[in-house]
Amino acid sequence: MTAHLTLEQLLALREPGAEPGAAAAREHLDACPGCQAELDAVHQRVARLRALPALRPARDAWPAVTARIRRERRGRRVRLLGAAGLALAASLALVVTIRHDVAHPASLSATEQAIDTQKQHSAALEATIRQYDPDARPLDGRTARIAEELEDRIAGLDRELEAAELLQAQTDREARRLQLWRERVGLLDALVDVHVTRASNVGL
Amino acid sequence: MDLIPVANAEAVVAGARAGDPAALEALYRAFEAPVYNLARRICRTAEDAEDVLQETFFEVCRSIGHFRQEGSLWGWIRTIAASKALMRLRRNRYRDTDELAEDAPAPGLRRDETALRMDLEAALERLPEVSRAVVWLHDVEGYTHEEIALMMGRTTSFSKSQLARAHTRLRRWLGEEVAR
Ligand SMILES: [Zn+2]
Repeated sequence: MTAHLTLEQLLALREPGAEPGAAAAREHLDACPGCQAELDAVHQRVARLRALPALRPARDAWPAVTARIRRERRGRRVRLLGAAGLALAASLALVVTIRHDVAHPASLSATEQAIDTQKQHSAALEATIRQYDPDARPLDGRTARIAEELEDRIAGLDRELEAAELLQAQTDREARRLQLWRERVGLLDALVDVHVTRASNVGL
Repeated sequence: MDLIPVANAEAVVAGARAGDPAALEALYRAFEAPVYNLARRICRTAEDAEDVLQETFFEVCRSIGHFRQEGSLWGWIRTIAASKALMRLRRNRYRDTDELAEDAPAPGLRRDETALRMDLEAALERLPEVSRAVVWLHDVEGYTHEEIALMMGRTTSFSKSQLARAHTRLRRWLGEEVAR
């Protein structure tokens, strides 16, 4: 009698189509009760694996899925809005600069410098958030809702900022913009916290 | 034919394609349990499996437009789930140590059905990640070695040897070795 079949050979006998050496293996199997018992054990093990009860999720994932879909859609919208907003800001800046050249030919006002500082904070925080790559890692339902609410408020502030650009009186306009930029930095800061907490929870 | 029937499947898919939230949720409700089970059998932790469940349906909602009606809906969703679960295994690079150092159950003990099932669950849990994924995808879900190799980015002989590896360990840990 030839040598007993290896487990790998026995497993291969279950595959459809003739594998190399299948004929010889089958011939041995037909004549060997030991290998037949081993193959039976494989079939029984597989049957028991298939009969294992289905494991069920502890939580309903649907709210998190829909929150993520909404976030993705909003992300696209905010980015588009961001591009349009930037173009609008650039054209306004041009108007403002021209006006400044006439009225205040020299330096930026203290308020404008403060706005610039807030803008820099804002950009740095946005870069941090991008590092946590919110679209690539799923947030749990509760975190997703908090992030969503913060993002909604930031999108709202961006609309108010656009509206503020159109204020007529320069001092009112600058004071309003400074206030809005400060609020924006505060919200972004909170959003960074959300992502940092989540990342440390999953051991990033 | 789908193993998991969805009442009114064609209308649900058409609605989901049109972005109807109720239809998308109906898809989720129909396949949530088997997707989670597949993910949980492949992933190391329940948290990972929940993430895979979420990622799978996010992807399903996004790309339901690519699903071809003549194919099996469950087959399509299942392959998305399996890919996401395997991706997570790769990303987490879990231990893949080979601990064949054994403690087979004491022989001669009469073990009832529940004890046998618990043993099998424990042995499955104890398998190296990749072997467990292969034995589950091949022997339970019915994927071929070619399909598994494609999903894992490996060769078919890799898939075959991982399957043999899984069976060798399960056999020993479950005390099922046959004297030949
Ligand atoms: Zn033999």
